[in-house]
Amino acid sequence: MGTPLHGVSASPGIVVGTAQILRWEVPEVPVRVIPDEAVPAELARLHAAIAAAVDRLQQCKARAQQNAGPAEAAIFDVQVAVLGDEALTGGIEALIRQNLGAEKAVELVFLEWRERFTRSTNPLMRERAGDLVDIEIRLLSILLGLPDGDPIAAGPDAETILVTHDLTPSLTVQLDRASIRGIATDAGTRTSHVAILARSLGIPAVVGLIDATSRVQTGDRVILDATNGELVLRPTAATLARFAERAQEEAAVRSELASMTTAEAVTADGVRITLRANVDLPDGVERLAASGAEGVGLMRTEFLVVGRTAMPSEDEQVEAYRAVLEAFPGQPVVIRTYDVGGDKLPVGGFPHEPNPFLGWRAIRMCLDEPALFSVQLRALLRAAVHGDVRIMLPLVVGVDEVRQTRYLLREAAAELARRGVAHRADVPVGIMVETPAAALTTARFAEAVDFFSIGTNDLVQYTLAVDRGNAALVTRFTPLHPAVLRLIDGTVRDAAAVGRECSVCGEMASQPLMAYALLGLGVRTLSVSAAAIPVIKRLIRGVRLGAASAAAQAALVAPTAHEAERGLRQSLSEALGAGVTDGLLGLS
Amino acid sequence: MIERMVAVQNAHGIHARPAAEIVKVAARFSSQITLARDALEVNAKSIMGVMMLAAECGAQLRIRADGPDASDAIEAIAALIASRFGES
Repeated sequence: MGTPLHGVSASPGIVVGTAQILRWEVPEVPVRVIPDEAVPAELARLHAAIAAAVDRLQQCKARAQQNAGPAEAAIFDVQVAVLGDEALTGGIEALIRQNLGAEKAVELVFLEWRERFTRSTNPLMRERAGDLVDIEIRLLSILLGLPDGDPIAAGPDAETILVTHDLTPSLTVQLDRASIRGIATDAGTRTSHVAILARSLGIPAVVGLIDATSRVQTGDRVILDATNGELVLRPTAATLARFAERAQEEAAVRSELASMTTAEAVTADGVRITLRANVDLPDGVERLAASGAEGVGLMRTEFLVVGRTAMPSEDEQVEAYRAVLEAFPGQPVVIRTYDVGGDKLPVGGFPHEPNPFLGWRAIRMCLDEPALFSVQLRALLRAAVHGDVRIMLPLVVGVDEVRQTRYLLREAAAELARRGVAHRADVPVGIMVETPAAALTTARFAEAVDFFSIGTNDLVQYTLAVDRGNAALVTRFTPLHPAVLRLIDGTVRDAAAVGRECSVCGEMASQPLMAYALLGLGVRTLSVSAAAIPVIKRLIRGVRLGAASAAAQAALVAPTAHEAERGLRQSLSEALGAGVTDGLLGLS
Repeated sequence: MIERMVAVQNAHGIHARPAAEIVKVAARFSSQITLARDALEVNAKSIMGVMMLAAECGAQLRIRADGPDASDAIEAIAALIASRFGES
């Protein structure tokens, strides 16, 4: 197929193109001593190089203005000003007058200035050192007659895949969307500058390839499979054809995803699915409302207490809930009560525990601290005046926990009535099904709850006895384990039998393969992270529940999670096509 | 010679772009112009110098000018810093 290099996907997509190596490193500079009579010519050479660099920077600025905007282009004004600064050029001239070649003079003076900036304790100053490197590379390249590695050199029709060690901000703003199809870098992570920029511009990018710049040559035909984090060198004709087809399908998926905010979440065989959003913080919730979510399936409230110095007041909580409710007028907003251990609370005196995930946390801690819990319950009843609040209790293992909460809710309503504060007493109450105990006894909860919501992350953790935060156990954390699927299947059936809504609000619902399994198991309401909404909506619109159900039944009896996953993936590929499936899986 | 104290008001302080703007304005005047923060005094026509000030939001700067157009120069640079360089 060709030689694949493995890196990290920074911005998804598949492109075929011609590699262009961009070297942007400070070149090696020879020491050269010049005779006295050569000094004037050497000074002239320096000034000619500075003039050429300024010229080039003006072109770069124009290019950046067009591609990125005036704020980004301003960086080149700074570089021009530096080249015009006599504090700098004067130092270079002085060294040339002492018979040093211009290149070495430039290097020494830049080194001195860079050190001054790097030594500073002020982060603003240390960033400036990076700007100086850019200017130095440009000036030295001109003096040494090195090829111009600017991305500006690529023609408009060149299907360029830029291969470089790393991209500095000043290089990236010049990138020409019309000629650059993809970016591959030796350095970088998913959160580095180049990755963030590539995602915002929608350019496929693979970072962290380690030695791509020494394995690839300018002019090589390459495939950048940024969905899977690979750069394929010198691909065979068959590989090229296969990737070209996948690239076309993925491109179609991406442009389609953009249109998903207004599309209805209906399966190909006409069943309406409810798609809600998970909310961690009230900030930015308006954007979430615009993403096409039909309400909030899980609003976490931990932000109200974790990392603070005092517990939030009733009024403060009402405002936080109200902000979310007003962003989703007339739509359900499921708010989960505190899901933390005592050690996360701003009020002290709680011991650290050897086994916190099996410890005094969530509903257990809340019921043992009724004064603290009642503030939250009163705030929720008051907020319910502004929208469709539903209260969800975490880590429930028994019906008595719901009964006690309902008792506290009646007390909370009575106190609000006594105070004459507007509130609603009839707010629906449900539980998170995230322990095997709750999953196995779903039907017994019917008398006490109005709805169920499966929290998959904790359900997987408690079912498989695998700590989800332990990096050494990552491969053992398998949501498609037959035991997990059986518990979900049982919960969904029992909830339907007693006539209660059962949604899924865990991470699992945000992953296309898992979402497909959940639809197959009969789940009709999913709550997913905001970023996953278009992906999951596209999946819903492309699948038939009959096929999903058959695939889910096969997964239920599969011996291992791996085999369950393979079957689901195959069924999904048959429904959507391999390219669309890969595209959706890559985007999630 | 005249001088005036000003406070940096834009949130990101005198980073590269504002430094370039100060140098551009200073270059229009024939007077000698300096900016000082505490004991560090730099040439306002040198971007390297101005950047060395590392003046963050709230920093107090002394503008000093000596020459035929000194008062205009101080006026122009103080106005630029007060304008927050078009930032918030």
